[in-house]
Parts: sequence; C-alpha cells; structure tokens
Amino acid sequence: MNRKTVLIALSAVLLSSTAIAGPDPIETRQQLMKDTRDAAKVIGGMLKKQKAFDASAAMDAFKVWQKTASKAGDLFPEGSDVGHDTEARATIWSDRAGFDKKMVDFSAAVDAAIVAKPDSLEALNAAAGPVFKTCKGCHEGYRVEKE
Amino acid sequence: MKRLVTVLVLLAMAIAMVLFLTRPERLSLADLPDYVADTTNGERLFNAGGCASCHASETEGPGKLHLGGGLEMETPFGLFRVPNISPHESTGVGKWTMLQFVNAMHLGTAPGGQHYYPAFPYASYSRMRLEDLMDLKSYMDGLPAVDNSPGDHELKFPWNMRLGIGVWKFLNLDPSFIKMVDEQNALLERGRYLVEGPGHCGECHTPRDWTGGLQMDQWLAGAPNPEGKGRVPNITSHDNGLADWSTSDIEYYLASGFTPDFDVVGGSMVKVQENMALLSDEDRSAIAAYLKYIPALSKVRQSVSDID
Repeated sequence: MNRKTVLIALSAVLLSSTAIAGPDPIETRQQLMKDTRDAAKVIGGMLKKQKAFDASAAMDAFKVWQKTASKAGDLFPEGSDVGHDTEARATIWSDRAGFDKKMVDFSAAVDAAIVAKPDSLEALNAAAGPVFKTCKGCHEGYRVEKE
Repeated sequence: MKRLVTVLVLLAMAIAMVLFLTRPERLSLADLPDYVADTTNGERLFNAGGCASCHASETEGPGKLHLGGGLEMETPFGLFRVPNISPHESTGVGKWTMLQFVNAMHLGTAPGGQHYYPAFPYASYSRMRLEDLMDLKSYMDGLPAVDNSPGDHELKFPWNMRLGIGVWKFLNLDPSFIKMVDEQNALLERGRYLVEGPGHCGECHTPRDWTGGLQMDQWLAGAPNPEGKGRVPNITSHDNGLADWSTSDIEYYLASGFTPDFDVVGGSMVKVQENMALLSDEDRSAIAAYLKYIPALSKVRQSVSDID
C-alpha cells in the first residue's frame, strides 16, 4: 500500500468522523419533543377551554409539529439507544419499518391539519384529534414509560 | 418403622389438606341470581375491563372486537398466549354456559375444572357483581366469532404446574373490596367498583410480593413494569404520584390521553385509556374521585432493575 493511499484513507476517516460528531441526536430529539409538547399545550389549552381559541396561535403550533415531523425520523440513528436518560425503546431499531410508518402517519396528520386551517374550536378539535392519535400511536410501542 | 409410617401418614394428610384448601372452586347454578341480562351494561363493563386490550386479534378499527386472542406475553414466568374468548364454538368460548363464564371470571376456574393463571386478572374481576358478569357475557355473545387457536402457554418449571395456582389463590384471591368507602357516597362507591373490580387498575399499578400477590399496603403506588423496562406510575395523590392532578385532570386524561402537562399517554396504558374514553363522563368522574380519595403513598424506592 503506498503512502498516498494511506493518506487518503486517513483523511476520509477523519472527515467522516467530524461529520458524525455533530450535535448529539438524543439531545436534539429531546428538545424537539419538548417543543412538540409545548405546542400540544397551546392546542390542548384551547380544547380544554383554559385558553380562548386563537387561530393563528393554533397554526403556529401546527408549524412546530411540522418541523418535528420533518426532522424526528433522522434523529434516531443506530446506536442512539443509550445515554441522556433516553426514553427511546429498543423497538425503534428492531422494528424500524413500523417506527418509520408512525412518523409518516404523524407527518400526514399534521399536513392535513395545516391544510384544514381551523377557524373555530370545533374545527380545531377535528384537525388536532387525528394528530394526537398519531402521538399516542407512536408512544404506545416505541417509548419506554418512565413516569 | 412405626415412626416412618406416622411421618408418611401425616405427610399424606398434609398433602390432602393442601389439595383440599387449594382445589378449584365453583359456583353452582343456584348461586346465579334470577336476572335478565342487560347487554348495554355488558358493553360498558367490557370497556371498563379492557377485555379487548389483551384478547383482540386485531388492534385497529372494528377488529378490536374480534376477540380471537393470540397475543404473546413474555413474562418472568414464561410465555403466556392469550386465549380466544370470541363466541366461536370450537376455538373460542361459544359453548360456554353462563355458569361456566361466571366461574371463570369470579373464581378463575375453567369449565374443565382447572385453575386459570392469574395473568387473567380474575383476582380483580372476582369483585364484580354476578349480575354484571351476566351482562358482560350477554354482550360478548353478540361479538363476531373468530376461528383462531392461539396454542398453549409455555411456562417454566414450576410455573407450568397448574396445581400451584391453587396455593396462589388461597393466599391472594379475596373478593372483598380493598378500600373502605362511605356506602352513602354513590360516586366513590362506583369509582371503587370500577377501579378495584372490572378496571383491574391494581394489577399493574400495585407492586407484588414474593407470592405474586398484590401488596395491599402499597395500593396503586406504582410498580415495576411487568413487560420489562420502565415503571408503572404511582396513581395515588402523593407528590411522586398524582398530587398535582385535580379530579378534572384525571377525567381529561382518561378521556383524551393528555396529562396536565400535555404529555401524551404511552405504552400499554394507551389501550387502557382508549377504553376509559368509551366510558361515560360519570364513570370517569367516579374513577377520579376514588383515586383522589385513597391514601397518598410514596412509590416504593426504585431498585436498579426498575430504572431501565
């Protein structure tokens, strides 16, 4: 093996490791889930009649969900199953196709809610309900319940 | 020689005594009330009991009422296969009489006279009124018959010996209510009935002792997750339980799946919550009232194995 080949191989290894060492996926997805819950709080507060219906605040919350839906799927790489007190369950990796399907369901429900553009509490209930169902759908089989 | 005979006789008497005390019990036809079953109330109890959560052969849509069984439950005792309880004549319970159904639910005794494993939560169902059990059967008789034979459990020794369940029942099967409530308070009584009886909440939310029985002094104070990682939460009003939850928070959670903090229900509680959502507002209020009424207990200190 000549020296050039070694040099190229070494730099390839270095480059790829810097690419991997971006922000920690577990911390990133935990923050994303907190944002998602805060958005759910906005919508839920209205549905629970603790806050007045506000169409634009609801739309902002849907947009937060849309961001989650676009990013979350990539934040569960192999090997990100331990650390930071993660609640990710091993089923995410043992049944990746099932998990990915749940993400697709979530994304589709959020997109439909945005298109529906609810202008009343009843419409909000109808638009958010299917999204909430997908939250449960994924947390049922892919999150560890830790209290 | 004489001493050996005495020992053997005593031993035989002791075994006979144990077998007698732990024999599968059964009610007789005369014990059943003279009563016309109410299918609507049966449906309510079916939802309160969450029968479909374990017995449904499909988990989505109308398939939730196809009770063909087949779910495999991996536990420390071995593999349980959930049976078919649809009204199918050969693979389900279509041929069961009312009395056989009541004996299964109330005493954990199969039509053939064997003990059922308490993975089937009859220790809770034993608190149900016989009329309610009759209503439940009349509702279940109308569900679709599903042709499916899930197969036998595969349990480890000594759990594979059903005779031992008699000992478990002798120690742990008690149809009396766990908490005293004021009999005049209809809401609390209803809540107690739903939680301690059909809802069988204590089966997961209360820790178990070495005999596999519930630790009644830790009633609903949370427990290790029987299915592996994580914990089943404390649902008493202690600081590490539901202290911050109002009764309307509990009602909203049972109806929608959202905690006051807008975290969403997960794990095996999803199916439970979806069943609770099918109950009436009054039933959910009763459950909430009962949970706020019972003593606030701290969860049992976590051992390393419960944490993850």
